[in-house]
Formats: sequence, C-alpha cells, structure tokens
Amino acid sequence: MNKIWFVMMVGSFCFLIWTDPSNILNSMIDASGEAFSLCIELCAVYAVWMGMLELVEVSGLGEKLAKLLHPIIKRLFKIDDIETEKMIALNMSANMLGLGNAATPMGINAMKRLDDGSGTATPAIIMLIVLNATSIQLLPSTVIGLRASAGSSSPADIILPTIIATACTCLLGICLVKLCNRLREKLKTNKKRKNK
Amino acid sequence: MSAYILPIIFIALFCYSKYKKVNTYDTFVRGAKKSIPLVVDIFPYIATIMIAVALLRASGITSLLADALSPIFNFLGVPTELIELVLLRPFTGSGSYALLNDVLVTYGADSYISRCACVILGCSETIFYVTTVYISQTKVRKLLYAIPIALVCATFGAVFACLLCRVM
Repeated sequence: MNKIWFVMMVGSFCFLIWTDPSNILNSMIDASGEAFSLCIELCAVYAVWMGMLELVEVSGLGEKLAKLLHPIIKRLFKIDDIETEKMIALNMSANMLGLGNAATPMGINAMKRLDDGSGTATPAIIMLIVLNATSIQLLPSTVIGLRASAGSSSPADIILPTIIATACTCLLGICLVKLCNRLREKLKTNKKRKNK
Repeated sequence: MSAYILPIIFIALFCYSKYKKVNTYDTFVRGAKKSIPLVVDIFPYIATIMIAVALLRASGITSLLADALSPIFNFLGVPTELIELVLLRPFTGSGSYALLNDVLVTYGADSYISRCACVILGCSETIFYVTTVYISQTKVRKLLYAIPIALVCATFGAVFACLLCRVM
C-alpha cells in the first residue's frame, strides 16, 4: 500500500506542476472534505448495521450461519476458529445481498482476527481481500436504480449477465489466490531446504 | 420482489431474537455504539486514498492512460467510451457511478454501451478503497499478490461483461 500511494501521489504532483499548479491544494482539501462527509454517512449506515449485527450475534444466528457455510469457508481460508468464521460468513452474506457497507464492519473484524502481526498478508487475508474485491453480487440495486431513472424499458434485464460475470470473476479470483498461495508455500520450503 | 428481502430478514431476525429471549433494544444500542469508534478509526485511511484519487483525476493521468490503453482494450472488445470507467472503477465508487450516469444519459439506457457499463459496474468493486479500509485496523502492510489478482479479475470481468452483453 505504501508503494502504491507513493507512486500515485508523486505521479499526480509531477503532472499537476505542468498543467494546474494552483489547484493542487484545493483538490486535496476537497477530497478530504468528501471523505469526511462520506464517513458521516458511513457512521449512520454502520449504526444501523452494527446494531443488527449485535442482534445476529447475541441471538446465536451468526454461529448457525457460520456452521452452514463452514465447509466452504474451511476450504477457502484453511482456518479453524468459529469466531473468525462467523465474521467471514456474515461478511460474505452481506456482500451477496449487495450490502457492501454492511459487510465492511464484519470484514474489518475478520481481518483483525486473521492478522498475525508480522506485517505481511497471510494467505487467508489475501483470500478475504480478493473475495471482497470481486464480490459476488446477486442484486446490483444501485445500477438498476440509475438505469431506471435514465428511462430504460426493462432496467432489471442486466441482472442475469451481471450474476454470470460476477460469479466468473469471483471464481477466477479464488483460483488465482489458491494458485499463488501454493507457489508461495513451495518457495518457502525450497528456501528452507537451501538453508539446511 | 427484491424490495421484500430485507424486511423479511429483519422480521425473522427480531422474532428469532425474541424467541431466544434477547433484549433487542439493549443489544441494538450496544452494537450501534461501536459504529462511532469504527468510523473514527477508518476516516484517515479513507481520506488518504480519496486525496490520491482526486489528484490522479485532476492531473489528467487517467484520461492519458485511457488513450494509451485504448488499443489493448479495443482488441479485447471493450468499447473506447468505457475505458475510463474501467480504469476509475477500482479507485472510486461515487466517481464511477457518476460516470455510469453520464454514459446512460449520453447513449440511452438501453444501448449496448450502457448495458456493458451496467454489467461492468455490477460485477466489480472499488478494489483500492476496500483494501485500504479492510486492512486499516491490522498491522499488514505488505499485500504481496492480493491487488494484482484483484485487478486481473476486474479486467477479465470488464472484457467478459462486454462479451456477455453482445450475446444476451
């Protein structure tokens, strides 16, 4: 992340010096203000969803959902911890319903539990990031809404292609992560052998 | 139909909680309380990534990149009009929805290009934003191959979406 951010910032600065040097500070402050209002909005959304989440957890529904999704989660993440599985199960379910913002608090909690403190992403963390970045969406509600307001005759007819496309990208992501995880383990064992 | 899904889930949740003798009011308040510290924790990360994205857009690098990459995307079947959308999508959610709206208004909601744009947005996510927020509360700073894989998937998704819209 440090590298990506550095490249983005320095690249933009160099460009803006030629094109529009007086606007650099303005657009930065504007963006930060936008982030602030987004956060206030998010706070409202999170209050609703985290209230619901607490209910799901206290009532024991979370555990049931985790047990239901246990075979899938265990294969994907190779973890054996009911608390983490619960968070991941809720995160995945919210994503599927198209509730990205509801999925975020649970995703963050799951990440905290997966973190081993080494500073490098573990295979499970990478899997969770990629799953969320390619998330399966069964109901692209915002897109349908925009399309309807632009005067489409049947705004919902993009649902089927969207589901097919999203399922394919998600599968591709899972396969690539699994492949890279395997390569990484092989490299590690090779290194150990060399050291011996 | 889809409008009924959430209410049904909520009713089921409340009835189940009652059945399990959970104090719904107290529990909900306890959960809602956690939202404020969470937002305070993630605000700096969101601000940082949004500043970088705003600069990137203001500098015109994105449109330059779109021009440079257009032969490749055209070869893969992505219309030139949608390249900026594909490039911006990993960075900004609100920005890409604004772009989608432009496309819908300019080309008509039922045109091929608009349908492609809808499917592209529907099957992708704001990769950099999601990643920043998700790892913000951990010590993880080295992501190894997570972002490259996510970007490969998003590009594949865009190409696949255009192909699907041609067939369906």
